[in-house]
Amino acid sequence: MIGESTPQAGGQSRRPALEAVIQADGLTKRYGATVTALDQLTVNVGAGVTGLIGANGAGKSTLIKILLGLVDPTSGRAAVLGHDCASEGFAIRTLTGYMPEHDCLPPDVTATEFVTHMGRMSGLPATAAKERAADSLRHVGLYEERYRQIGTHSTGMKQRVKLAQALVGDPRLLLLDEPTNGLDPAGRAEMLELIARIGSEFGISMLVASHLLGEIEQICDHVVAIDAGRLLRADSISSVTRVSQVLLVEVDEGADLLIAELARRGLAPVSYERGLLVQLAGDETFDAVRDAVADLGLPLSRMEQRRHRIEELFRADPAAAESGQPGSARVGPAADLTTGVSRVS
Amino acid sequence: MSADMTAAAPAPESGSGVIHNIGYRRYDGRRLGRAQIVLALTWQSLRAAFGIGRGAKAKIVPAILFVLMCLPAAINAVALATNPSGGALVGYDNYVVSLRSLVMLVFVAVQAPHLVSGDLRNHTLPLYFARPIRRIDYPAAKLAAFVLACLLMIEIPLLILYIGNVSQVHGAKAVWAQTRQLGPGLLYGLAWAVLLASIGLALASTTGRRVFATCTIGIPLFFSYILSHALFMIGRQAYGPVAPGQESALASLSGLISPFTLLGGVLRWLQGPPKPGRPLQVSQVTLVGHYGDVYGLVFLILLAAAVGALVARYRKLAVA
Repeated sequence: MIGESTPQAGGQSRRPALEAVIQADGLTKRYGATVTALDQLTVNVGAGVTGLIGANGAGKSTLIKILLGLVDPTSGRAAVLGHDCASEGFAIRTLTGYMPEHDCLPPDVTATEFVTHMGRMSGLPATAAKERAADSLRHVGLYEERYRQIGTHSTGMKQRVKLAQALVGDPRLLLLDEPTNGLDPAGRAEMLELIARIGSEFGISMLVASHLLGEIEQICDHVVAIDAGRLLRADSISSVTRVSQVLLVEVDEGADLLIAELARRGLAPVSYERGLLVQLAGDETFDAVRDAVADLGLPLSRMEQRRHRIEELFRADPAAAESGQPGSARVGPAADLTTGVSRVS
Repeated sequence: MSADMTAAAPAPESGSGVIHNIGYRRYDGRRLGRAQIVLALTWQSLRAAFGIGRGAKAKIVPAILFVLMCLPAAINAVALATNPSGGALVGYDNYVVSLRSLVMLVFVAVQAPHLVSGDLRNHTLPLYFARPIRRIDYPAAKLAAFVLACLLMIEIPLLILYIGNVSQVHGAKAVWAQTRQLGPGLLYGLAWAVLLASIGLALASTTGRRVFATCTIGIPLFFSYILSHALFMIGRQAYGPVAPGQESALASLSGLISPFTLLGGVLRWLQGPPKPGRPLQVSQVTLVGHYGDVYGLVFLILLAAAVGALVARYRKLAVA
C-alpha cells in the first residue's frame, strides 16, 4: 500500500533519494518565553521538490532560517546536505540558494547588475558571475527586461529576479519562501511552471514554502505539513492524495430519489454538490449503487472513487488554518487520514 | 514543403542558435573564499562611495568635494612655482583644517548613507546573510570601504601638496625633509578617516531612508562643531589664559565636543607640548592645554563606540 511508504522511499518520486537533503531532529525554536515558532519538529526531506505547507505563522520561515544557519534553534538539531546547521552554516550557505518571502531588491540597479553582484557574493569570480547571472536571468525568463532598472519591473519580473539571484550560485538546494507571493493568477501559474522546470530539468532539490495548498500539490513530489511549529505530516504527494474509501456518485436528475433508495439498501449516502457520497465497503457498494440507479432509471453521469486532498491535512479547522490563525488546527488531522500512513519521525 | 520539414527538424536537437534550448549548466569552476567575497563587497562599496556604478548625478557631490579638497594643494603648487622663495602656504598635518572639516562633514553625511541605506531600506541584507559570509563581514566590508574612501579624500590632496613642494625644492636633503613631514600628515589623515567613517556609518545604519540618514549624520556633526567653537570663544573671553600658552579649562576642553575639533586636539596631543620656536596657529587647531591625554582617550572611546554600534546594529538585525 502506497500510504505505508516513507517519503524517502516514495515510489512515485521522479528522483529516488540517495540521502536526506534536509534532516531535522527535535527542532524547537522559541522566541522569548511565549512564542514557540517550532515545536519538536522531526522530519527528513529527500531529493526532489518538497512542499513546506502551513498557515502563516506556522513556522515555515523560521525553519528555513534555521536551515540556512541564520537562526540558532533553541533545542534539537538540523542538517542540510549532511552539514550541521548550527556549526556548518557557512558550508550550507555555499550549497543553497535562498529566495525570501518579502521584497529584497534594490530598485535603482538593473537586474543584470544585481544578480551579477549577488553571484559575486556567492563566491563566483567576476567573469563567472557575469555569465551565470545572464544564464540565471534567461532561465527564469527575463530577456530584454534584465537591462532595465528593477524598480521598473512588474511584480512577476521581480519575483523572477529573486529566483535568479537564488539560482546564480549554482546551488544544490533551493529554499523558496512563498515564491508566488503577490502574483496574479497568470503570474502564479508561470512561476509554478518555472519552479517545476528547475526541479525536473535542472536537477536542483527544492524546499518550497507556501500557505497555498493548490500550489504545493501542483509542483511538489513530497509535502511536509506543519502547524503551530509541529509536524502534521510528511509524505509523498501521491499518498497524501491517494484514493479514499469514499465513492462519489453524480446523476443528472433525481439525486434525492437515489439517496432514499440507497438508504433503503442499507448504505448511508450524504448529499454532495450535484450528487452524493457513500462510504465504500467493497465491490458490493458499487453493485448496490449500480442496481439502485438502474432500478430508478436515473441518468448516471459520474461515479468515481474520491481522492484525498491536501486540504484534509488541516481539516481540524480548515477555515481558520487558511486565515492564518495560529493554533487553530493544533488538534491535528482527522483520524482517517493518519491511519495507515506513517508519520515520519 | 516536406523538404523544409526534414531540414528544420534536426535544428532543435543540435541546439545551435536556439537560445531557449541551452539547458542548465552547472558551475564547477573556482569558488572564492570568504575573504575574497568580503573584498569584492568592499570594492563595490568603495565605488558606491564615489557614485561609481550609478548614474552621472551620483558623481556630482563627491567630485565637487574632491576638487574643493585639492584646491589648496593646487594653489600651493602654483604659488610655489611662481614664487619659489615664498615657502609652502599649507602644512601637511593641519591641512586647511576648516575646509577639511567642512568638506568631510558633507562627504560623510551625503555619501555614507549610499553604502548602507539601500540594503536596509530594500531588505536586501537577508540575501547577503544567506551567502557564504558571516554576519560581521558585511559591516566590516562597508567600514573598510568607507575608511578607504575618506582616506582618498584626505590623502590625495596631501600627495598633491607633497608633489608641489618637492618639485620646487632642490637636493635630496630638502626632499627628505618634505617626506618626513608628509609621513605624520598621512598618519594623521588616517585618524580622520577612521573616526569620521566609523561615526558616519554607525549613524547612517540607523535608518534605511537616505535623507534621514544624511540629517542624522550632518546635523549632530555640524552643530557640535558650532557649539565647540562657541564654547571655545566663551572659554577664552570669560576666563582668559591661565598662563602663557595655556588656555582656561573650558577653552581647552571645548574641543572634545565635536569630532573635528577632537581630531585637532589629537594632533596637538600627538605633537606634544608646543616648542618655543614654533608658535601655535590658534585659529587653526584646537587648544588642549593640559588635557592632551583626555583628547587621545576620548578619540579612542568615540572610535570604539562608533565601530561597536555599527557591528551591534548588524548583529541585531532580524533576518526577516
